[in-house]
Formats: sequence, C-alpha cells, structure tokens
Amino acid sequence: MNWLYQFPFKLNIDTAAIDDAVRSFAVNNEAILQFMRRGLNGLLSSIHSTLDFIPWWILVIVVFVLGFLQTKKIKTGIVYAVMLFSIGAVGLWPLMLLTLSIVIASVAISLLLGFPIGVLISMNDRASSIVRPILDTMQTMPVFVYLIPAVLLFGLGRVPAVMATTIYAIVPIVRLTNLGIRQVNEEVVEAAKSFGSTRIQAMVKVQIPQAFATIMAGLNQTLMMAMAMVVTASMIGASGLGMEVLISVNRVEVGRGLVSGTAVVILAILLDRLSQGWVKDKEEEA
Amino acid sequence: MNMKKLITMMAISLLALAGCAPSTGSGSGHIVMADAGWDSIRLHNHVVGFIAENAFDLTWSEMSGSTPITYEAFKNGEIDVYTEFWTENVAPYRGDVESGVILELGVNFNDNYQGIYVPRYVIEGDAARGIEPMAPNLRTVKDLLDYPDLFVDEEVPSKGRIYGGIPGWAVDEILYKKFMAYGFDDTFIYFRPGSDAALSAAIISAYDRGEPIAAYYWEPTWLMAQYDLVLLEDEPFDADRFHEGLTEFGAADVTVAARKGFDTEFPEFTEFLSNYSTSSAMTSAALLHMQVSGDDYLNSAKWFLREYDEYLDQWLSAEQAAAVRQALN
Repeated sequence: MNWLYQFPFKLNIDTAAIDDAVRSFAVNNEAILQFMRRGLNGLLSSIHSTLDFIPWWILVIVVFVLGFLQTKKIKTGIVYAVMLFSIGAVGLWPLMLLTLSIVIASVAISLLLGFPIGVLISMNDRASSIVRPILDTMQTMPVFVYLIPAVLLFGLGRVPAVMATTIYAIVPIVRLTNLGIRQVNEEVVEAAKSFGSTRIQAMVKVQIPQAFATIMAGLNQTLMMAMAMVVTASMIGASGLGMEVLISVNRVEVGRGLVSGTAVVILAILLDRLSQGWVKDKEEEA
Repeated sequence: MNMKKLITMMAISLLALAGCAPSTGSGSGHIVMADAGWDSIRLHNHVVGFIAENAFDLTWSEMSGSTPITYEAFKNGEIDVYTEFWTENVAPYRGDVESGVILELGVNFNDNYQGIYVPRYVIEGDAARGIEPMAPNLRTVKDLLDYPDLFVDEEVPSKGRIYGGIPGWAVDEILYKKFMAYGFDDTFIYFRPGSDAALSAAIISAYDRGEPIAAYYWEPTWLMAQYDLVLLEDEPFDADRFHEGLTEFGAADVTVAARKGFDTEFPEFTEFLSNYSTSSAMTSAALLHMQVSGDDYLNSAKWFLREYDEYLDQWLSAEQAAAVRQALN
C-alpha cells in the first residue's frame, strides 16, 4: 500500500546552481549594483539629514497642528504631540529618525513604481494576469528568502533594508490603484469619452480622480506594511528602532523590548492617522 | 445564504481546531535537544541523537529558537540537553550552573577561535585572482586604525566599517567596548549585522568580489573552513581585562549541559554526555563536508561518526559502541 502514500518520483532541483548564479551575478554586475547602492544611500542620507536638521519640537508642533487640522479637536492634536514627544523622552529620537528615513524612502519608491504599474494593469487585462501572481508571490514569499540574496547583491545595512521593505510594501498600492480605477463607473468613463476624451485623458482627468480615495487607502496600507518590516529589516543591519527591538529580544530584556516596541507602535499609529486624515481632507475637497 | 456559509465555515474551523488538539506529553524515553540556530549545534545534536537512538534506545527531537529563548526553555525543563553551549555568550550561565538550575556535564570542545577576521588577500594579495595586497602591514586589531579608507562604509563614506557582533550576543558588548577603548570611534562605524546569516552573507559577498572586509566571526564554522580568513592578533588574553574589551578572545568553553534532574532520570545517557568531547577541528571538518557534499544533518552526523570512529570507544561502553557501529553500517 506504500505507493498510495509515496510520490512516484523525486525531482532534484540543482539549488547549488542557483546559489552560484546569484553570486556570480553579484560579482559580474558590480558596477550597476554599486551605482544603485550609491544612489539609494544618497537618497537615504538626504532624507535622514533633513529629518535630523529639524529640531524635535518643530516636529512635535507639526504633528499637533496636523492632528488639530484633521479632527478640529485640540485634544487629538495634544494626544498626537504627547505620543511623539514620549518617543524622544525615552531617548529613542535618533533611532526613530533612522527608522522613519527608511520607511519614507521605501514608501516613496513604492509609490513611484507601484502607482504606474497599478494604472497599467487596470487598463490591460493581460498585464493584470501577469502582474497579479507576481504580487501574490511578493506578499507571501518568506522574507528571509530574498533578504539574504539582497545582502549578497547590496551588502548589509539600510540599502538592502529599503529593497526588502519595498518588495513587501509595494503590493497594496499596486492592487488598490488597479481596484480603484476598475471600480470607477463605466458610464462616467463612457461619458468622458463621448465628450471626445482620449483614453489617456479619461484616465488622468476622470478615472484617477474618481479612484483617488481607494488609491490613497492603498498608500496608507503601503505605509503600514513598510512599518511592519522595521524589525525584519534590522536583521540585515538596518539601524533604528527595529535594531533596538532585536537587541532587547535577543537579550531577553523584556522591558527594553517593550519600550522600543511601543515606540514602533506609536510611530505607526501617527503615520497611519496622519496619512488617513489627509485622504479624508482630499475626499471632502473632491 | 451568506450567513449560513459563514456559520458553516466557523463550524469547520472549530472542528479543525478540536481535531488538532495537542497529543499528550512524550514518554520518559524521549530527549529534547536545543537547536539554538547554528550549524554546528545541529550537527552535534544529530551525532548525539544517533547515539541515543542506537545505543540507548531513546527517541529524540530538537526544539528550535534563538539562544536566549532556548535558554529560557532549558531552564524551565522544556529542553533536556544542550550539546554545544557557548558559555561566554550567555551571561547568566555560570551563575545558573553554580546554583544548580542547570547541569554542566562536560566540555564538548574548547579549541575554538573568535575575533575580528579579514580575508587573507587583504594582507597578502592573491595572485591567482589578480588581487594586490591592500594592507600588507595589517597584523593586529589596532592596525585597522590605519585603514579607515580601505574598509570604507558605503553608508558613511568618510568612515570605515567594522562588522561587529550579532545584536544580543555577549560578544557584541565586548567588541563594542573594544571598539571604543581602542579609539575606533573617530574614524570607524561599529556595524551590527543583525543576524549571523546576514553576517555570513556579507563576508561571502565581499570575498566573492575580492573586496576588503573586517568582520567578527568565529570557528568552528563551515564558512571558516571554506574561506581563507585571517584572525587579527590582539593583546594576550586576560580574564578580567577581556570583559572590558582589552584583550583577545580566549578559547571559550563550549560545554554539554543538561537540565536539572536529567542525571537521575537518564543516568547512563548522562554518563555518555559527560564523556562526549570532540574538537573544533573535527566539527569544522564535518561542517565543510556538509557544505561541499550537500548531505543533510543526519548523513553528516553518520559521516562524522565513521570518520572519528575511535572516539566511540572513549564515549561509550564496548557494547554500546558496537551497537552504534552496527547501525552505521
């Protein structure tokens, strides 16, 4: 009866060949990879030094004002400001800025790549059927599987961290851009076309504005997914709040882990609320 | 309709969960070994496990986790045996042995090395690969101070980068103290690699490209067996000054340890574990064999036992050793 339970044959995949391919790719394309590393490093450095240049109290005030403007409640503004202040008060401000610069860079890259891809696959079913399984793979592939190749290609530190974060976080912006545009009422699009709009004009002037709320929800999700990668990214040497969490967890220092973990949560909540509020404002305008 | 579907799905979930209720605890003849996450401990687990199965008629399994997590489980008695305990890396270990929370059974090996390594081609060049010597006078850790431009940190190009310890390992603190004490702070960045897999990948990637790298690493590991790296010299070892980061790493005691009460439950097996003693060189050889041949842990453990057959007589009684040999053939 064994044959009922056993596979009839076993394929031997030559995994060593894949290892060698990745590594020789890294060696042979050093010039391009170095160019990408330098570019990303430059981007990250400039984001970080800009954030670092702003005195802490200005950021706290900005968060207060944004919170107030969004909800029209002074209380909300104060809560947001106190939350941000408390990150600095426990001495995690510099680490938060490092984390924030990685998140900002990843979200910016996700938006710049993801939005056009989303628009493209909303217009073309063929492209959609190719891209969607890729998106599924990117979302479900265990992170460590591409983390280590990212290290082989880009070294350790914040550059591969941004790469890995982007792979994980770009998915919602693509998906929701696609969904938002496809959900726009056919008749509205037909109307625009009957007034002589070209396909591009209908897209830019009618479909994208109509889909704006959904696209922004995608951006918000992208932001949250990027925050979720913070600790994982520190496993390849990205310093910041994630590294602090990693160190405390590795030492079984529960208290220290809780403090730095809470700082991650606060940062995530602030980014979430502020970006969501911004979407609502835009919706009301529209 | 949708409500009905939802209720059906919830009922199925409930049934599935109930069906998967955990089976009751293992019998007395089962040993749980710690898999703290690196290759050599898994290899030793399989060697010890193979002997447990064939000479003592015990079953065994591994419980995986990071060092601190497995150590907590070990203290709570959920893990029975640690075959490769890096005593220097877990600060409370000595105290816990003295107070009897855990039992130190013997020394697995103590001829290991750790410290700051650079690839040999950095110092001597490599004619075959067309690499010129980059730092011919580099001998000691302090000499690195002369080469911040060579080991440049791409994130902060004005400084050099030294890859330090894995966050949370005891060596990380010691290395960081060394970094500060030797005055690296002005011209170098102390870079924490995040995980040992990431550190290995960084070294391999630099080695493949023939680039300079200065990184913490340790032996026995397959990486050290496969790549030609040089351990930089440091001040002679001194137990007190070592913890201030002022000396080289002494050979760390890597012990075999068991949970409290294990010796009374499994007296014969405990005796074998107390005798279980290998060496860093043997472990490296087996790890290299595993890396090159692609064998799994079990087959590498068998290779290990065949290769070092004479050790069976030191570890086991004649009868037990015969049982293991029979199982090997």
